[in-house]
Amino acid sequence: MFILFTILFQLIFSVNTFSNLYSDSFHEELLIKRLSSGHVYSYFQFTTLWNTTLDKSTFDHTHLWPRSLGEILGYHNVQELHVSLTQGLWRYQNWGYPVVEAPPGAELWVWFKPDTENVEKEWKLLAGALSGLLCASLNFIETSNSMTPELSFRPVGVADISNPVNSSFLRYATLPREIVCTENLTPLKKLLPCDSKKGLSTLLNAGYVHNTNYHSLGLHFRQTCSGKYCVNPVIELRQTVSLVYDLSIVEPINQDWSIRKLFGVGVGSGCPLASSSRIYVDISSNETGPVFHLTPNPDSVALSMRGGYQSTFAVYDISSAEKLFNINANYRKLSSVPLSYPPPLYVNRYIAGYGQERGRIVTKIHNKHRTPLKIIYLENIPWFMPIYYHTLKVTANNRNINPIQKRYHPGKERVRPYFLEVVLEIPARTSIEVHFEFDYIFLKWQEYPPDANHGFYVGSAVITCMLPVGRNYTGLPPEASLISDSWNASQQGYLVQLRTESLILTLPTPDFSMPYNVICLACTVVALAFGPLHNITTKRLQLVKLDEEPKGVFPFPKE
Amino acid sequence: MDRVIILECVLASLLRFWLSHSEYKQIIADRVEVSTPVNSWKRVLEGSVLYDEGIDPYKGDIFHETPFILVVSNWLMHNFSPTLICLIFIACDILTAVLLYKTAALFMNELFLKQEKEKGGYAPGTEDLHVTKDDIKTPPIYVLSAFLFNPYIICPCVAQSTTVFANFLLAATLYFMAARQRILCCLCLSAATVQSIYPISLIAPIYLYFYKPGQAIKTFLILVSYVLLFIAIFLFAFAQLDGGSWNYLNSVYGFVLTVPDLRPNVGLFWYFFTEMFEHFRPLFVCAFQINALFLYVVPLSFRLHEEPMLLATSLTALSAIFKSYPSVGDVGFYLSLLPMWKHLFHYMQQGFFVLCFLIGTSVFGPTVWHLWIYARSANANFYFGVTLAFATSQIFLITDILFAYIKRQFALAHGLERILDGKEAKLILD
Repeated sequence: MFILFTILFQLIFSVNTFSNLYSDSFHEELLIKRLSSGHVYSYFQFTTLWNTTLDKSTFDHTHLWPRSLGEILGYHNVQELHVSLTQGLWRYQNWGYPVVEAPPGAELWVWFKPDTENVEKEWKLLAGALSGLLCASLNFIETSNSMTPELSFRPVGVADISNPVNSSFLRYATLPREIVCTENLTPLKKLLPCDSKKGLSTLLNAGYVHNTNYHSLGLHFRQTCSGKYCVNPVIELRQTVSLVYDLSIVEPINQDWSIRKLFGVGVGSGCPLASSSRIYVDISSNETGPVFHLTPNPDSVALSMRGGYQSTFAVYDISSAEKLFNINANYRKLSSVPLSYPPPLYVNRYIAGYGQERGRIVTKIHNKHRTPLKIIYLENIPWFMPIYYHTLKVTANNRNINPIQKRYHPGKERVRPYFLEVVLEIPARTSIEVHFEFDYIFLKWQEYPPDANHGFYVGSAVITCMLPVGRNYTGLPPEASLISDSWNASQQGYLVQLRTESLILTLPTPDFSMPYNVICLACTVVALAFGPLHNITTKRLQLVKLDEEPKGVFPFPKE
Repeated sequence: MDRVIILECVLASLLRFWLSHSEYKQIIADRVEVSTPVNSWKRVLEGSVLYDEGIDPYKGDIFHETPFILVVSNWLMHNFSPTLICLIFIACDILTAVLLYKTAALFMNELFLKQEKEKGGYAPGTEDLHVTKDDIKTPPIYVLSAFLFNPYIICPCVAQSTTVFANFLLAATLYFMAARQRILCCLCLSAATVQSIYPISLIAPIYLYFYKPGQAIKTFLILVSYVLLFIAIFLFAFAQLDGGSWNYLNSVYGFVLTVPDLRPNVGLFWYFFTEMFEHFRPLFVCAFQINALFLYVVPLSFRLHEEPMLLATSLTALSAIFKSYPSVGDVGFYLSLLPMWKHLFHYMQQGFFVLCFLIGTSVFGPTVWHLWIYARSANANFYFGVTLAFATSQIFLITDILFAYIKRQFALAHGLERILDGKEAKLILD
């Protein structure tokens, strides 16, 4: 009887789990946009949504959700995770804003759940686990290069309203030197339900992906909700690949581009496990810029009015495509150069000064908008670049601007990076400069990386702003999970988190071949003092007859 | 005589004031030979601004001064203009010079009196070696001039490095030692010690000064307890200034003792510990610090117990050479004491050699630094070579003056002639 009851119970229980298990969906999307500089931006987004709550046992059974990643998230008490691996620099001034922002190299920021006991330990372990999952050097993330931004980063998903946001559960780190290559792309593709066998992921061929000017891989995990009143918990994973092709390399003769030219193969049918597989081509520029014609004709055309700017998208639904096909964009007129229209806010950063003694970091933030913009400037200075907080100045046309708020935690050698967060208001149509001084540091000889004269990388600064207009903006609204959800989604403000250039700092180096020589020479000088002082203090002066002078070890014959 | 002193002081002040307001000020302040992590004014400014913002400056890597300097500099910055602050540094330097002058005057006077007392025991024919009446007057003036117009002293003052205060405290210690003011002397020694640790070795010459026959242990205990008491009071007061926190201990003294910052300076530590094998680092840090702090204290005290002032000078010099973050200000300080031993110069053999080396390294240092850091056509070895030569020449100077002292003592006892049993003989250490 008891056994029967147990079996019955297990049956009920497992049906329950399985009904929960299959409440997930997978969507694949590709957005292709011709940027005003002539580059082609293609953005892949693979979204997995799962109507479940997030706890440790959630990932014991998974369906479409990548279990390897899920286990890591559950085990380390992660509430939200964002990791990006990027090669190249997103050029805001010419390219506008990407859908997801990422700095050069690797970036990882994680919100842990408020009940996490030892955030520091979980952070280190999580970075190590992700390092294995993505074949990236994220295991180099530790306390000495991570920080806890207080203002710049907020959870982007749903957070418990009873728990006010406490940034002590946030960790942020970048590895600007990380080189992104095939070994990172392959594990990312393996997390997809169809791997790279079917669907849009077949387009991600290493040979073509790494030919780009900019490519960025991302994993974004958060908790969100569904339903009209946001009552059903959903966990969301977005796997993104952003690529920017330089057409003058892909197609030097004319400006035409096609799926085959960009990715090497045509598109087949979508992933059978996907609820939707769509390709969107931004054809807004047909009205303002160079006109092009798409073959084959799109299945439908979507109009989006967002933040006062209209965009038009050609939509291809490939879920039912039967054979490989190509999407071709033919330009009517050759050699027409589109006008570059800079976005409302963009930024440049560089090191000023010469020599390897002291320098200055200058960040130029340009506001092209007609109203003042409030920004948060987060500086991420590694411990080997000691900065002088008292030299921090914000100037606009040689006029000082007083920051609204400043947060600073001095760094410590080999222990903690320098953390600086400044809240500023940039006057309308003005460029401001944020600058401060730093010293070049001298490290121990074993702390220099191989090829020490190449220099040390300094991670990007992050500039956070709520833009009042949607010009050049392609990001998703906070409640949306899919690209198509962002159409006609006008918001109060459009959050951008610009990543600046990462810097390279050539620290002065010692002579690496010298350790023995230096140790010997320095000790010799110490001995030069010790010897005579020892003689002076232990011996006494005496008169000795010349012929009784003590002989040396080798008595030389006298002439 | 007084007119000469006033004239020199005025001239030196004008020179410092002019340099402080010239374009050279920044160049001098930026030199690694002048500004080290423990004395640079830029770092004091940084600490002071952090203090204003309510951020603990000792949490960071930039600020390594005592809380006293922190609070005072913060107060100065709020209430005084930069010109006035610069004048404070100049005044402090002039005061140091005057204290050294007085110290030298007291010392020469004492030396002369002592010689008059012991003259009977001297060997005949050694009159040339005696301190003359004239020697009471001139060496103090030389000390004053050597301090006021020493480029190694002017530069730190213009750069507003806190070595100026450390030198002032050292000079006060020496003055009160010569003037036999026991409590004030201990107070100044404690202050100098909490400012830069290394002066603690001066407790040996101070003990020899205040020692009275028959009260050896008592004097020693009194002195040590005074010094320890004052140091404890200072440290406690500093903790109170820092809001009751003892964090500063690690950032101020731990930083000096463990040498984590390997920025080049005129000392021996930076390249040695840059190239050190990680496994041996603690061993060599200990060995080098013992060498700088107290290795020579006991043996030299035995040898120089009749001449505590010379002992004080040698210990100051040795710590200036071997300390972890030396600057030219430390070197200049003991160099300006040397005229007090004018009567030993007769026996010094390396003077010319040392002078050439000091001048040479002072010129070569900035040159190879420029080649290494700016032109990038040289490397660290060049600058290391110069600092080695600089240290070697100073070591030669110190050992030379100590040899001169024992040779003179020998000559005073045995006469100038080096003849043994009617035959020509040679003077050797055995």
